[in-house]
Amino acid sequence: MQIRAATHRMSGRIKSTYAVMSLAGGLAFLPAGSVLADSVDGTFPTAEQVGGEVYVEPVAVGKKLPLDFDTYDLNGNKVDLAKLVSGKRSMVVFFISAVPVSVAELPKIEDFVRADGKGINVVYVNADTVGSALQGGPKAAIPNTVKTMHVIKKEKNLRTTQLYVAPNDALSGEGVSNRLGFRGLPTSFVISATGVVEKVFVGPQNWKSGDI
Amino acid sequence: MSINRRQFMKGALTAGMAGTATMLGSSNAFAAVHDPVGEAQADLFRKFKGNVILLPSKYGGYVQAMDPSVPETLAWYPYGLYGIDMPIPHHIAAMPSADPYKGFDFYQTMQPPAAPYVNENSPEWRNRGDFKMFKMRYDGSGKQNSITVVNDISATTGMALGVHVSIGVGENANKYVAFADGQKDMVLITTIDDNPKIVKAFRADYDPIARQLNVSQVFPDATTGKFDYIGRKGMKTSHEAMLGEELMPADPTAVFVDAFTWHPTLPFGAILIRRLGCCAIVDTRTWEVVALLSTAKGAPDNFPLVKQSGFTWTFAVPSVLTPLHEAGFITSGEYFLACNNVLQNNIAVYRSTNEDPTKWKKENFVEGFGTKFLPLHMGNVPDSRFAYFTMWARKPNNGYICKVDTKTWKVTAKWDTGPDPHTCDCTVDGKYMTTVYSGHQAGQSGIVFINIESDKIEARLPCPGGMHDHVVVPESWEGLKYSRSTSV
Repeated sequence: MQIRAATHRMSGRIKSTYAVMSLAGGLAFLPAGSVLADSVDGTFPTAEQVGGEVYVEPVAVGKKLPLDFDTYDLNGNKVDLAKLVSGKRSMVVFFISAVPVSVAELPKIEDFVRADGKGINVVYVNADTVGSALQGGPKAAIPNTVKTMHVIKKEKNLRTTQLYVAPNDALSGEGVSNRLGFRGLPTSFVISATGVVEKVFVGPQNWKSGDI
Repeated sequence: MSINRRQFMKGALTAGMAGTATMLGSSNAFAAVHDPVGEAQADLFRKFKGNVILLPSKYGGYVQAMDPSVPETLAWYPYGLYGIDMPIPHHIAAMPSADPYKGFDFYQTMQPPAAPYVNENSPEWRNRGDFKMFKMRYDGSGKQNSITVVNDISATTGMALGVHVSIGVGENANKYVAFADGQKDMVLITTIDDNPKIVKAFRADYDPIARQLNVSQVFPDATTGKFDYIGRKGMKTSHEAMLGEELMPADPTAVFVDAFTWHPTLPFGAILIRRLGCCAIVDTRTWEVVALLSTAKGAPDNFPLVKQSGFTWTFAVPSVLTPLHEAGFITSGEYFLACNNVLQNNIAVYRSTNEDPTKWKKENFVEGFGTKFLPLHMGNVPDSRFAYFTMWARKPNNGYICKVDTKTWKVTAKWDTGPDPHTCDCTVDGKYMTTVYSGHQAGQSGIVFINIESDKIEARLPCPGGMHDHVVVPESWEGLKYSRSTSV
């Protein structure tokens, strides 16, 4: 039997209106740099493009942690994350506001580090942007996420100001989560002063002396 | 001749009175009867007689019962009446009714609006809406029709789940209804009476370090007889993952349970686990987890049970080659089909006749969908000759519906019905496949009727409000086998 490919018929006027709506809708629907940033033609990645399978391994101990992705501070200004950890033994904690267990881990880490962190530099990175469809489209993605970060800081009584936003595209091989190999959040990388991974913690932890 | 304003108004009034008197003299006005089936447009739609279709409006916050043979909305219910701020009526299933015009019961799930389709999980929105499951009733027996809430099942059981609902068939007919949720990774099975009783509940959690899946039975509090999972309690993630978000960073234990589908002839059901590309097969006689199918191409037919400890079954899941979305049985029960998507876009075909599900084997794959079109939902026909699938796509693509021959496992027809296609459901006579599309929650939306024999689209009706699901009310328990039960 021959395959029939029927096309949704539209008048020329409707077609052109739809094209404009679709473009505008596409821009409004997903903010730039969101977890699932819209692609030009709607293509999904192959397994090979995102690490081979759904669950990819985090950057391994002994490897340099890539930190050259776009990052924004609590004022919405672009910052260089690599510079912020350069020369200091650091813990880079990735979380997203959509995952309660990852947000709950932030004050736990802060308390633990304050008590037993041996001066380690901790930076918290929200690897996502919150929705912006109802509040101005892509241009609102970073301001909205920064606003969310301030709410988290206040509600979780976080004393740190080292809270950052790193927009992620999970469907791109270049997305932060695919490059660093995390699927479960929180994921925390302890890195040396030269940026080499010493330890990786996936998920919430019962932090104890000596862990970091 | 001139006429002043007063004269004009006087004349107009007189003419109006005369006209009114003429109308009053006519018997038609006083004999007006609501009879849309006698109207001219009904000639075009009469062929759909016998079908009542439920259409929940995800972003309109209501559900409507529609008679496509008129066409007319028979009744509708806005869930705001129940006191929910920004309700998101999500998925739906209908109980069989010999005369759906007179009445029938149905189930409706609901989720909060912090969902990616709304794309709004900023703090201002986090307390809006709710997870809910309702048993609802349509009453068409009187002069004016109505839809009412029969039971708030989430309040009754203490467990609130917001995704697929499916009603038992075959050996589980007239007994059970199942609810699922991918934000909490839970499944609840209750009885189908008006005051439902908890039958069984499951929770799924992944251990990404050990690479193991734990499927556990969960139990209500012994003192209250209820669970403690009302509202957002138990939620692993603040929004339901949209297609592709299986790859997003999430709670490490999150697996995105989506539905429970029922075998039409054997005492089994399948818990669909999106993020792991797996389906946990449950024996509905004992409610034990008896197999974990791994549906990806290149993966083994199933993953091994590592251990059973009490009410927890632990399976090794060493790798996940692709997520899946929906999976279900064809009407005969001969095959179990799984919509693998995102990293692989194909439909795995298991033969599902063996009474030992660990012996179910992948015999085939429906392939050729490329990297833009994702197998999503599945629709059955009474004689199992075909299975219909929604091939969903991101903007700027529309997606399409395809028809698959269950002898050759080849696509034999496809239709671009409109942007953002969702569920497929067959009419009670088996002649038409109905399918909804929702324009990516903003653009064109409607319901389409495809003639199963001729492959022609025979009707298209508008349905505004982001119709993410729909169901044709089945006429019998046998009819439910090709409705929202064996597949979703």
